[in-house]
Amino acid sequence: MAEKGKMNVEHLDGVVRLREEHQKVVKDCESRILHWNKVSGDYEALNDRLKTLPDQLSYDIMVPFGPLAFMPGKLVHTNEVTALLGDNWFAKCSAKQAQKIVDHRMKYVKSELNDLSKTVKNFEARVGLVKDLETISSSKGDYVDIREDTGNGDIAVTKGQQRIAHKPNSKPKLDAVLDLKEGEENEGEGGDGGSRKGTSTEEELWARLDELEKLEEQQDERDRLSYNADMNGEDTSSFSSEEEKEGDAAPPVNGLSLKPSWTSAPHSKAPPSSDRKAEEDDDEEEEGSCLPTIFFSHTIEPKKVRINTGKNTMFKFSERKEQKEHSKRKKKNGHNNGLSHHELHKITTPVDIYRLFVDVKNGEPVPRKSILKSRSRENSVCSDTSESSAADFEERRMIGRSFSHDDTTHSDTSDGITEEESPTAVPLHPDSRFEAFSGTVVEKDPMPSAVPHLTIAPPALPTILERKQEEVAPDVAPPQQAPKRVSKFKAARLQQM
Amino acid sequence: MAEAIQKKLKAEVEKYTQMQKDVSKSMSARQKLETQLAENNIVKEELDLLDTTNTVFKLIGPVLVKQDLDEAKATVTKRLEYINGEIQRYETLLKDLEKKSEQHREVLSSLQQEYQRAQGLAVGKV
Repeated sequence: MAEKGKMNVEHLDGVVRLREEHQKVVKDCESRILHWNKVSGDYEALNDRLKTLPDQLSYDIMVPFGPLAFMPGKLVHTNEVTALLGDNWFAKCSAKQAQKIVDHRMKYVKSELNDLSKTVKNFEARVGLVKDLETISSSKGDYVDIREDTGNGDIAVTKGQQRIAHKPNSKPKLDAVLDLKEGEENEGEGGDGGSRKGTSTEEELWARLDELEKLEEQQDERDRLSYNADMNGEDTSSFSSEEEKEGDAAPPVNGLSLKPSWTSAPHSKAPPSSDRKAEEDDDEEEEGSCLPTIFFSHTIEPKKVRINTGKNTMFKFSERKEQKEHSKRKKKNGHNNGLSHHELHKITTPVDIYRLFVDVKNGEPVPRKSILKSRSRENSVCSDTSESSAADFEERRMIGRSFSHDDTTHSDTSDGITEEESPTAVPLHPDSRFEAFSGTVVEKDPMPSAVPHLTIAPPALPTILERKQEEVAPDVAPPQQAPKRVSKFKAARLQQM
Repeated sequence: MAEAIQKKLKAEVEKYTQMQKDVSKSMSARQKLETQLAENNIVKEELDLLDTTNTVFKLIGPVLVKQDLDEAKATVTKRLEYINGEIQRYETLLKDLEKKSEQHREVLSSLQQEYQRAQGLAVGKV
């Protein structure tokens, strides 16, 4: 309101000044009109005189003699007139000719007068307008200037910035949230189509991230509670129960549609996806170890995954997102060493990612030097843990390919698949993992059973190659299925896993 | 520091005022020319109204000098052209002066800002 008042005052000042200027012009025009009117009158009189002058041959007049005296005299040659034409030019002419000259001059004077009167009218109209404006801005008159207190002063400047850019890929739910947020800032202008494209997109993303973080926090709170409660108790049961809890809490929103929005908000999706993953987990007992098995309902077939725990234990595992797996592992790790990893799941900065990549040695989380490099070999207990760089990645691909070629019946399809799957051939991490979950996942599946799944939706893809790639740890198939959507960052991480 | 800026500012202000004066001079000259132009137009037209029977005089000082009508017409026409040319010249001159004054204005404003900043700093220091 103060702003409005201030603006009003400014506006008023400007308006007043404008009015004053207009009035000046009007006054000037009026004076000129007066002048011309006088001239016109003079010429009229002159005309009359010229008409009557030749009536008589001579006139008895009182001749002015200097400024103060007059003398009686006669006016002769009444028809002869010396007319000043202007600019020191004179012309001797008869009275009638003089009259013509006078008429001509009159025309000029009249035209000038017309122009001036037009100008005056114009400015008078403007003055009236300005007066009205003045009264309106000062809120004195009957008319009120309708104004909305929505930062109107910024309109001219930020005309194109007050709108939200609605990304075509953004989810309606999140969009609504964003709109609300933006709407608070710009009342009534936030909901429009986006012209604030660049910045609003980022803002949108960050808003979404925040939202998801909050959600995740809530869930993690619950997790933590259950974690802490179950920490001392049984692992599996608690874990499964925790999973159930998580399952209940997890928002179904990001369930199957994670992929499309992966690139847009990878980290934010992680926690919910991890939750969802937990949700999907069954309570099936582990095989050969005291860790639970992870099943994912979104995959057609549960895959046997060899997790590099150092014990050559095999786990059924299929995962769509690496984050899920990661967070899961971290949960497990945390489960074992008493740390609550829910914070780790929340990835808002690159630092968080590094936090995730911790090597758990002997129950202590040791931060890895480089998340791009795989863990040292000496710790590896798995048989195939020799590769540690992306270069070897290619090797694995070749291996995978050769493996797939063995499949005669479905060589073509498998080839296509292997190409897709080969990226998933991540070198195992030869870590001496005596903890439950080293973080390395080797997917194994019998080839034939996987082939039919080729034609099925992406989740099925990982299954095919796993069988062939015994030594390979195709970590996250789904991300690789759509390589475009997977950041190379993630791919690097995949290798590490 | 502030003083130096102040001096600069003064110098610039003087230059600017000088420029403004030039501008106004040219403007007034141009206006004069315009009135003369109008007048000469009228004279020309009125001369056209006359015929050779009328004698035309030209006022040179206190003396009215007889002139030929045709001569007068020619003279007036020439004068008209001259006036037109002068107006053009003055217009271009005016434009240049305006540009220069604009530049000067900008310089002035920047200097003013500097000066204010320096003043602010000085005040802060004190």
